[in-house]
Amino acid sequence: MLLIAGQYTKAQNLDISGFARSYEGVLFNTGDFGIVQQTLNLNFEKRGNKVAFKANPMMYLYNADSLDFRMRELYLDLYFDNFDIRIGKQQVVWGKADGVFITDIVSPLNLTEFLLPDFDEIRTGVIAAKVNYYFGNSTFETILIPVFIPTERPPPGSIWYIQPDFPVTPTWDFSKETITPSLESSEIFLKYTALTSAIDFEFMGAYTWDDNPTLHVQKEFGVDSSTMQPILTGLNITPEHHRLAIGGGSFSSEIKGVILRGEAAYYNGKYFLTEDPLQPDGNIQKDYFHYLVGVDFNLGPVKLSSQFIQQTILSYDDYIVNDKIENTMTFLARYDMFRETLHLELFSYIGLTNEDALIRPKITYDFDDSFSILLGSNIFVGDEKGRFGQYGDNSMAYLKLKYNF
Amino acid sequence: MKKLQITTTLIAMIIAIGFSPEITGQSLSGKQIIEKVYNRPAGDDQTSDLTMTLINKSGDQRVRKIKQFTKDLGDLEKSIMFFLSPADVKNTSFMSWTYDSDQSDDQWIYLPALKKTKRISSDSKSDYFMGSDFTYDDLGDRKLEDDTHKLLREETMDGKECYVVESLSKDEDYMYSKTVVWVNKSNFIGVQKEFYDEDEDLLKVLAIKEVEEISGIWVITNSEMKNVQKNHRTTMVLNNIQINTGMSESKFSERMMMRGM
Repeated sequence: MLLIAGQYTKAQNLDISGFARSYEGVLFNTGDFGIVQQTLNLNFEKRGNKVAFKANPMMYLYNADSLDFRMRELYLDLYFDNFDIRIGKQQVVWGKADGVFITDIVSPLNLTEFLLPDFDEIRTGVIAAKVNYYFGNSTFETILIPVFIPTERPPPGSIWYIQPDFPVTPTWDFSKETITPSLESSEIFLKYTALTSAIDFEFMGAYTWDDNPTLHVQKEFGVDSSTMQPILTGLNITPEHHRLAIGGGSFSSEIKGVILRGEAAYYNGKYFLTEDPLQPDGNIQKDYFHYLVGVDFNLGPVKLSSQFIQQTILSYDDYIVNDKIENTMTFLARYDMFRETLHLELFSYIGLTNEDALIRPKITYDFDDSFSILLGSNIFVGDEKGRFGQYGDNSMAYLKLKYNF
Repeated sequence: MKKLQITTTLIAMIIAIGFSPEITGQSLSGKQIIEKVYNRPAGDDQTSDLTMTLINKSGDQRVRKIKQFTKDLGDLEKSIMFFLSPADVKNTSFMSWTYDSDQSDDQWIYLPALKKTKRISSDSKSDYFMGSDFTYDDLGDRKLEDDTHKLLREETMDGKECYVVESLSKDEDYMYSKTVVWVNKSNFIGVQKEFYDEDEDLLKVLAIKEVEEISGIWVITNSEMKNVQKNHRTTMVLNNIQINTGMSESKFSERMMMRGM
């Protein structure tokens, strides 16, 4: 394949682009630098009529000398009359939602900095073979992923790491967490897309792994010598990923200048933590429904967008740790000034169920076409048990200097 | 057949270049003049490289480069633009389907960083295109019946005998209180156009600097829009223009937006 690539593309020049970025964030509470990150992003691309190639290495330097090198994408494209094939490490984005992941489940997330990175950096590339077949304004997409990559979580010591609350110190058994690559363990994703004058829509299906491991819990009990009552003496926790079957779809249409968007997915047999004493390992399987409706519109020169998101556990029982229904909203306002050199933006996640929020105002000034400076803030407010409120101590102001080339 | 515009692309409709319809010698009304300007032959498809230079009052320049394709499908026109520079918008693409009927345009943008094609609202005609002095409305397809046209006078501009036509929008919320265009009598090509703001003060002046005949079609290849209130301007230069190449309709698809040129 590489020989074919070389044959078709040798006459063309390698295209190099990317950015260098300095990113520093100061925590409001302590004045500590919560983020000190320097980034170099490189895109190497070579395009031909039949074949294309892309490599996208990214280097993150944290603090003074902690280097994190990632090959975000590395793939080869083969173009035919009615279909394309992409093989290699790639990021795949599905759905119509912004900042919410419902049918957008092909590329797992890197949540080591919660939801704060730009959305192109929050996704992890997957090693996959992707075939797109085109007919009219429709596309049928098939993806096979032989190597499972889970969601990346913040490590202990990170300001984004949340210490699980256990009554006794647990013993961890990670022997079942890794999935050995094989045909049998591969993930399969299918999608049909149509882009038409009246409406754009997608239908998708997936036989995949839950990107988040289920924590199977075995409890050990002893007897309190003074009361002769049984007491919890130990916890053995075994993280394990389980198969999920998911079906869903999304749409986008314009009605009198307003873009109306929707997206929904049905998850079959997802595991949830439960306090039901009859469940031997602390988990129970339930079906799960996740959907969104959103609108985009202009109010004069201001671009506005809002989304309502609901997650529902079906056949719910009161022992389940998660809420039966969790409602969230997002809100975005953006205003470009001075011939698009000054950009004002406010983006918020608002947790309606837990009454918490992440509020993200930012202002960006483009000194020229290459260099920009961004001043922003991440403000976490509300219930400390909420998804956003739990990071109340991590509210910060930050500065990003970025040079594109 | 619907007239072909270069810029959803381009300025073809701003002063839409006319191509030498027969000169009747009879006096024409303002509407007849503008109709001749709008209904010029423009070919079935066009390809070109657009260089847009934004110049501020200090003379500092910012340059945007775009590759664009347009195809006339009768009552529907499809266009697609690929942004080549600056670096932060490279590989972004924009597709527009424009209808002869009253149906709103369909518009999509592909953002390579997000790897997503998004439908966007066509209700943003007064927004400025890429920070330039051209609004989307300036670059888009204005219909003859959208305005009331009045022949003001006939005069010479840059050595060319011109009709001077004033156009008032029938929509009270339109961004311009009026426009005035100088149309070359000999070929119905626009020479200059003035745009007046809501207070009826002169806001912008578009000057057509060069036109070329390519494959029998007259095309504006060099123009400049100047904001006289803020004293900044934008030049648009077209190169590598190809007309009637038999471009496939499949060029105007999500596949091509994501794949690039």
